Amino acid sequence: MPQPLLQTTAVAKAFGPVVALRAVDLSVAPGEVHALLGANGAGKSTLVKILTGVLRNDSGTVAVNGEPVLLRSPTEARARGLAPVYQDPALIRDLTVAQNLRLTGVDPADVRRELAAMDLDGLDLDEQVRDIPLPFLRMLDLARALVFDPQLLMLDEITAALPPDLSERVFAVMGRWKQRDRSVLFISHRLAEVREHCDMCTVLRDGRNVASFHPGEGGESQIVAAMLGEASAGVRDVARERRAARERDDEEAPRLVVRDLLINRQDAGVSFEVRAGEVLGLAALEGQGQDRLFEILSGNVRAAGGELLVDGRPLKARHPYDAIRRGVVLVPSNRLMALLPQRPIRENIAIPLFNRIRRWVPINTGRERRQVSEAVTRLSIDTRAAAQARRLSGGNQQKLTIGRWLAAGFRTLLLFDPTRGIDVGTKHQIYDLVRELADAGAAIVMFTSELREIGLVCDRAAVLHNGAIVAELPPTASETDLLTAAHGLEVTAV
Amino acid sequence: MTATPRAEVATPLPRPTGRLERFARRQGWVVGVAVLLGVLILWRSSQIPAFGAFEVRGIVAGTMTLALLAMAQTVIVISGGIDLSVGAMMVLTNCIAARLMLEQDLGPVVLVALLVVVVAMVLSGIIGAVAVVSGVPDIVVTLAASFILAGLALIVLDGPGGGTNLRFQELLVGGFDQPLPAALWLAGIFLLVWVPFKRSRLGIATYAVGSDRAAAFLSGLNVGRTRIAAYVMGGLFSGLAGLVTTAFTGSGEPRASIGATATLTSVAAVVLGGVNLMGGSGTLLGPVLAAFCLALIAPLMLGLGWDPNYAEVARGVIIIVVVMVGGLLQIPRRAR
Repeated sequence: MPQPLLQTTAVAKAFGPVVALRAVDLSVAPGEVHALLGANGAGKSTLVKILTGVLRNDSGTVAVNGEPVLLRSPTEARARGLAPVYQDPALIRDLTVAQNLRLTGVDPADVRRELAAMDLDGLDLDEQVRDIPLPFLRMLDLARALVFDPQLLMLDEITAALPPDLSERVFAVMGRWKQRDRSVLFISHRLAEVREHCDMCTVLRDGRNVASFHPGEGGESQIVAAMLGEASAGVRDVARERRAARERDDEEAPRLVVRDLLINRQDAGVSFEVRAGEVLGLAALEGQGQDRLFEILSGNVRAAGGELLVDGRPLKARHPYDAIRRGVVLVPSNRLMALLPQRPIRENIAIPLFNRIRRWVPINTGRERRQVSEAVTRLSIDTRAAAQARRLSGGNQQKLTIGRWLAAGFRTLLLFDPTRGIDVGTKHQIYDLVRELADAGAAIVMFTSELREIGLVCDRAAVLHNGAIVAELPPTASETDLLTAAHGLEVTAV
Repeated sequence: MTATPRAEVATPLPRPTGRLERFARRQGWVVGVAVLLGVLILWRSSQIPAFGAFEVRGIVAGTMTLALLAMAQTVIVISGGIDLSVGAMMVLTNCIAARLMLEQDLGPVVLVALLVVVVAMVLSGIIGAVAVVSGVPDIVVTLAASFILAGLALIVLDGPGGGTNLRFQELLVGGFDQPLPAALWLAGIFLLVWVPFKRSRLGIATYAVGSDRAAAFLSGLNVGRTRIAAYVMGGLFSGLAGLVTTAFTGSGEPRASIGATATLTSVAAVVLGGVNLMGGSGTLLGPVLAAFCLALIAPLMLGLGWDPNYAEVARGVIIIVVVMVGGLLQIPRRAR
């Protein structure tokens, strides 16, 4: 066996009492695309931060080409040939792209060359970062990392925010790196990508590496089993079972009716209905107006025209408060936008409760505590980091954003990409929860960027294109059909 | 599970912003403040029968201190901090200069001036370093520092006093009908200090650190050193403000309230000048122009025959109105 390009031995890291990594042995061979997998909070991002010199490991060693190295800063890590693309874009919003590049000592001309290689040379580098959409920022981050010509390219969930065609270009880069006998460490929650593009995968659980194997061999179930541990092996497709069992009552009046709602003035308008107990899936490519649609539905932004009926009565919300009082609540994609990151779990759940208590008397803390602990148990939120919501892992934060409405009560739930950046295990818990809430009588509208979730969770699929619903499909529609419709093309065989 | 289907249609590249739109976004606020200043100056000149060199010198030299303090505050705010001790620093340097310059020839006086500026840079750097190393918020550290500096000023000069050299005064703020020296000094500082700074790596780093500390760190910047450098730069401007005060008044005045008022006015100029108080954006020119706007209000009211005691009220109203209008103009951009 050739000498590994990167070898970590018993790397450990703790943040105070919270142990992020216990002992990780990771070995990446030259010319290998290596996937790093694991549930949220398993320690993937911490490991990447150690390998890029952002964090220092408490113990254990990191060796590059057999030589132990000390990585004290991002610059040192780059000098060793380790270059990352982080989960959050590392470009500064108030500067232009070119200024950002000069800051890191990168020649904009080099980046332009890398962009051209990815067929993205139309991007203007004198643009301010704040004016460029997120997917292209990720591509710029990637181009910048490529300029350093790293031995090991680390991609932390780069595809999470990318539309399929840009993801393909990332995979092309990975292939190019492999051909040059260099390596890629690839982190993604999309197992299909991992199976298709990775030679090897290492699964982390509770801060240890529990398995390394070829991802193509065992298939998705082996990966999920390794991620979740023996106890929860064999995840059942509960959502699908529940949906099959549900009896549909067409006589009932729809809970939410959207009629010719204009996201922008020039659009054709969005129309759909959702009944109690129903989950409507919304599929769309990046930037078809879905963000704004959800903001309108939740009362945050006013529509340019059209009608919104809740329980048969029009809702003209001037403020999210108006929508919440009618039982329409939003779980946004940006979890930290919905939560109070520096406050404890208890307060995060209790805040929407205060909407109901509209009396000028002290809060009934006993009742509050009871409702909060009910919600925490029901969602099985990990309360080890209960003192501050921002210290929770992504999956637990997402459960918390749903959980706060659970305690407060709602009738219509708007979920915007609820499983973005969440591990497979927690994803399934959220699917179960969504179906459970629908069974309990909630009407749910769920936008998802992962098309297979439509089949897993939803009763119907509506496809949004250019500010209008262009197709309604059954949940059994194939991903190809959904994608075809999402591009605004006619779906022939349904 | 099958492979993700390939997309046939490419995601469109973002539409590039036009030249004019870009200019309006980046410099629009400064142009706005410049127009406001122009209007105020025209208005003021229409009030006085003979608007000449004497009046211009009065405005320029009288506002130079505030303009310099606004510069000091701007650099620090852009780097993501805030300095509540710029006014006290000005008072302290004024007192040191007045005490040491008393009855001296021009040569020693210039040496003292250089020394005073260096002292201000070192002290300001220490204040910044304390904030960076201790992790205590800038607002707390600089507030505490403002008490210390005000106390030091009283130790240096226990009451109004001291003095300076007449030639030094004329060199810095000009004679009674010479607006040129003061204006040239301001323009010179802007062109020789700010313009190269803004184009340098340190300048870009200052904006970066103020915009997003975490991203700046991930870009490989030394965040702490950059923030301290901004404080040193701020010290340079507040030290110059102290010198100008010495030259303008010809004496030292250790009263703490002068410093406190000056600090708050510098923050007002920064806000009115379009610098984001959260850091990361803004120019130096905006706050300088804003400082002149703020300084013109009291004489304008005098000219209108109003009670100049209402000048502070008018200042407050103008700040709120301008910032509000500016905010409203920016809303359509945010909605995109």
